[in-house]
Amino acid sequence: MNASEGVHQSAEKIGEILGFPITNSMVTSWVVSLVLILIIRLTVGKAKLIPGKGQLVIESVIDSIRSIIEPIVGKRVFFASFWLLSGLFFFILINNLSGLLPGVGTIGTGYYDDDGHFHLNHYFIRPGNADLNMTLALALVANAVWAYIVLRHEKLGHIAHHVFGPKATKKDVGPFFIPLAILFLAVGLIEVVSIMFRPVSLTFRLFGNVFGGESLLHSMFELGNILGLHETVTKVMACFVPVPFYFMEVLIGFVQALVFMLLVAVYIGLFTNHEEGKDH
Amino acid sequence: MIEILAQSPDLYKPIQAGLGCIGAAIGVGLVGMKGAEAVGRNPDASTQILVQSIIGMALAEAVAFYALFL
Repeated sequence: MNASEGVHQSAEKIGEILGFPITNSMVTSWVVSLVLILIIRLTVGKAKLIPGKGQLVIESVIDSIRSIIEPIVGKRVFFASFWLLSGLFFFILINNLSGLLPGVGTIGTGYYDDDGHFHLNHYFIRPGNADLNMTLALALVANAVWAYIVLRHEKLGHIAHHVFGPKATKKDVGPFFIPLAILFLAVGLIEVVSIMFRPVSLTFRLFGNVFGGESLLHSMFELGNILGLHETVTKVMACFVPVPFYFMEVLIGFVQALVFMLLVAVYIGLFTNHEEGKDH
Repeated sequence: MIEILAQSPDLYKPIQAGLGCIGAAIGVGLVGMKGAEAVGRNPDASTQILVQSIIGMALAEAVAFYALFL
C-alpha cells in the first residue's frame, strides 16, 4: 500500500458541523486535549493538602517547570503566567509526540491507479500542529495573554520607559544625552515593529517544524519508490529507513514545545522581570 | 534574468526557499560552534549553555520557515 505523493500543506476537511468545516488536524487535537484532561483529572482527583501519589508526581513536574520559568519571568508574575506557559508546553508537546503514533498519516481513503496500486490521498489522522490554523491560534492566544499580563502588572510609564526611554543617564554621557535620547526613541519604534511580528514568527516556527517532519516521514517511507527501485525493495526499506527520522521527530517535537514556552516566558520577562543578575 | 524568474511562482519559490535555508543553516551552525566552544571553556555551565543554544537555534531556524512558506 503506497502513501500518496507528499503531504498536502493545508489539512483536509473530513466533515462539517452546521456549515463549519472540520479538518483532520482539528479532530486529532480534540482527542489529545481530551486525553490530557482525563489523565490529569484521574491522577490528581481532588487536590489535597497532604498529597496522594498521583498528585505528588504532578507536583514534582510542576516544580521542575517552576525552576526553569521563575528566573526568566520574575517572582511577581510567576503565578499569573504559569498556567499559560505550562499549558502551552504540555499541549504542544503531547500534540507533537502523538503525531508519531502508528496510524497517523497511514489510515485513510484513496484510489486505485492503472497498475492496480493503491494510492492513499485522504488521511484521517494528522498531527495537531501540522495545521497553520492551530499554530496561529496558539500564537494569538499567547500574545493576547502576554499583553494582558504586561498591562496588568506593570505601570504604563514603566513600559514606555522600557521600550522608548533612554537607558543612559546624563551623568554618563554628558553632552551626548540629547542625540542618544533621540536614538533610543528610534530604536523603540523598531522594537514596536518587532513586537508586532511576534505572532507570525511563533506561528511559522511551530508549523514549519511539525509539518516538515510529517512530510519528511512520508517521504522516508516512500524512499524506494522515489529512487525508482523495485516494489519489494521499497517495502523492505520502509521497515528500517524511517527509524532515525522518528528519533529526530521526537527530539524536534520536544524542542519546539520548549522553545515556544521559553519564548513566551522571555517576552513576558522582558517587561516584568526586575531582578538583576538572573542566575538559573 | 530576474524578469524571467519573476514570471511564475514555480520559478522563484524554490530559489527563495533555497536561499532562506542556506542562511538558516549557517546561523544554526554558528550557534552550535559557539556553544561547543563555551562548554569547552567552562564545562560546569553546560546546562545553561544548552538552554541558550536551543533558544538561539530555534530563533535562527525560524527564518528558514518564513522563506519556505511565506
